[in-house]
Amino acid sequence: MQLDSLYPYVERVIDVVQSKTQKYLFLAFCLLPTFIMFCIFTVYPMIGGLYYSFFKWSGTSSVMEFIGFDNYTRMLSDSVILRAIINDYLFVFIKVFGIMILALFFAVALTQLRIKEAPFYRIVFFFPNIMSVVVIGILWQFIYDPNIGLVNGLLRAIGLEEWARPWLGDMTWALPSVSIPAIWAGIGLFMLLLMGGITNISKSLYEAAEIDGASEWQQFWKITVPLIWPQIKTSIIYIVITSLNGSFVLVQVMTAGGPGVATEVMGSYLYQKAFEDFQFGYGAAIGVLILVLSLVSVIILQVLLKKEKVEY
Amino acid sequence: MTKSLNKSWLFLLVTLLLLVLAACSNTTTTEESEPEKTTETGNTEEGTSEESASGGISGDLEIQYFVGGYGDAWWKEVIADFKAAYPDVNVIEHAGPNINTEMNTRWISNDPPDVVYIDGAGSSETQMIADGQLLDISDWAKGLTLEDGTPLLDSFISPAEELDGGKIYSLPLVFDTWGIWYDSAWFDAQGWEIPTDFDTWLASMKQIKEEAGIAPFNTTGQYAQYFQRGVLNPAFAAAGGEQLLNDLADGVVEAWEREEVLAVMKKVEAIVDAGLVDSGFAAYNHTQSQMNLLLHQNAYIPVGFWLPNEMKNDTPADFVYGFVPTPMNDPGKSMALIPDIRTIAIAKEADNPEAAKAFLEFIFTEEYAQKFAESTGAIMNMKNVDLSANNRVPDFLKGINDMINEPGQIEIHNRNTPEGDREKEIAVEITNEIKIQIVEILLGQIDAEEFVNRMTNKAKELRGM
Repeated sequence: MQLDSLYPYVERVIDVVQSKTQKYLFLAFCLLPTFIMFCIFTVYPMIGGLYYSFFKWSGTSSVMEFIGFDNYTRMLSDSVILRAIINDYLFVFIKVFGIMILALFFAVALTQLRIKEAPFYRIVFFFPNIMSVVVIGILWQFIYDPNIGLVNGLLRAIGLEEWARPWLGDMTWALPSVSIPAIWAGIGLFMLLLMGGITNISKSLYEAAEIDGASEWQQFWKITVPLIWPQIKTSIIYIVITSLNGSFVLVQVMTAGGPGVATEVMGSYLYQKAFEDFQFGYGAAIGVLILVLSLVSVIILQVLLKKEKVEY
Repeated sequence: MTKSLNKSWLFLLVTLLLLVLAACSNTTTTEESEPEKTTETGNTEEGTSEESASGGISGDLEIQYFVGGYGDAWWKEVIADFKAAYPDVNVIEHAGPNINTEMNTRWISNDPPDVVYIDGAGSSETQMIADGQLLDISDWAKGLTLEDGTPLLDSFISPAEELDGGKIYSLPLVFDTWGIWYDSAWFDAQGWEIPTDFDTWLASMKQIKEEAGIAPFNTTGQYAQYFQRGVLNPAFAAAGGEQLLNDLADGVVEAWEREEVLAVMKKVEAIVDAGLVDSGFAAYNHTQSQMNLLLHQNAYIPVGFWLPNEMKNDTPADFVYGFVPTPMNDPGKSMALIPDIRTIAIAKEADNPEAAKAFLEFIFTEEYAQKFAESTGAIMNMKNVDLSANNRVPDFLKGINDMINEPGQIEIHNRNTPEGDREKEIAVEITNEIKIQIVEILLGQIDAEEFVNRMTNKAKELRGM
């Protein structure tokens, strides 16, 4: 039974027990604190950021000069901005594909293959989610270390010495190398989300398909994927938003945007401008750019991923 | 019943709202919201009275100082002594590794501490001067003398900087500088010579590469300013003097087009082409690259005086820090040192400027210069301080102190603060660009000509040419 269908009954019960005023007071009691918090911690900083983006301000004094759209026009001629946007979307692209393919694979494997140790793997895969991103960054920095790192060590051990390289210091490989810990850390959460969707699919559908002669692969594409599409869509949008806003932490810890600007993302460039170069107004303008790009990306994804709801 | 229920809902709602508002309120007084590391020393009974027996100096004196590689032992001692000399002054310390960030809101709201030691991330003297946050102490500073009668301004190794037509906003407290570090015990054992110019340095690196089988040179690619300040700046200064050094950093197009610049970059190219740079440098942050030096995976690294203090917990027992001014000079020419000065200043909005001045005057003595060298591993910016007899001062510091006080071996070139908003912005952009290009040339992706070309184009772009 759909949850929506319960609402009229619940409302009727509330009407019987409580008066209208009481109902509104109760709703206000539930909603108002969250709304106030939302205004203070989300709306106010957002408006603040937008406001400061119109100023020339060091961020360390009371001296501010209104400069209109100068910070925005400056972005147009800033070559690092373009590079940071490209890097951000490359990061998002690698992360979405990496996480979705692996999370889906593990989710299907753990639910469909009836593995005895499934609960154990569920915990193991989820483990990175409870680790701080900073810890993950430092850990992977050691893994990638050119001399004592695990990756180069393994490559040398299996005779692929020529593949060994300073991964985080290589102009070509630095960005993919930073993306891999992000994928590693992200699989668990989305795997659980997708597993939830898969376990809700009725077993009879698979049995029927099997009787009709559908292969496992066909079952995956014709039954599993369409029925967990809402979860897949939510996961992709969530990964895109969190990557555009949060890739900064991993980049800052692992490469600080380097080598050169090879891993510079909008967040790390914002940090550099606002807090290292004392150009807070310009940093705020970059923040507004991140907000706008995130919104546009989500809207486009909503359209692209729109599919008719499937029910069998 | 309904009414009383209504009232309880309302009461709960109002209480919750009040709690939220109280939690987010910023009307608490400064005294109540002082950061954790704020400590007070001395008598608080005097309150904020400005009249007292110790030369009329009294009241609260707030001092903000960053605690980084130099530690805080020197500050604690100096402040305790100051308190003893000025018993009516109540010193309030704001200190710690994040103190610049913690005190930021005080500066933004025009309620700064009285004295500020400008060092560490989140602080910039250039920015503070541009924002008008520092007191013009020119007249007062010109009248200060040491115990022997020498004017204080004449006793600095690196002079107090004069801006805006001769105005002094800060006193240069710490003389730090960048140079090349090595393990002198290891060098002695292997019989490797200490370089004195570029040719001997290149030869030394080639010899080490061959004998030890390592890439002898390393730096941090994540913070490419280490190479800029530790190698390029001394090289530019040695080749073209203080003027060239400053013109390049300020993005003067003609300076970037000079042949000395290309010659310096050719030297860098020679180091890269000989395979002397650690192939992993671009991935390293500063501590990783420094760790490699301690592990003898490299032999030379450009860092400032704070290196031994910063790495003291990881330094092997048999490792002896050796320091040489960056040998990028041509044979027969002096090596160049670019001071990296940390200053101390009084806030323009200081509540107690008289006590602040008394404190600044109090700390510039030979006694405190000796103690500074003992506890920080760096030099206080004062000439003619004889460290040779002080057993607690590390040898490398005695050596460099001797060099500074005996002109001829090295030449000191100062990097001056650019004046004016636009000039300051250009200097920041040039630094950002040079950091990007340093990584490129050290990775061997571009040659010296391309480096110079890119920097010249950037300078032209910034100057609208």
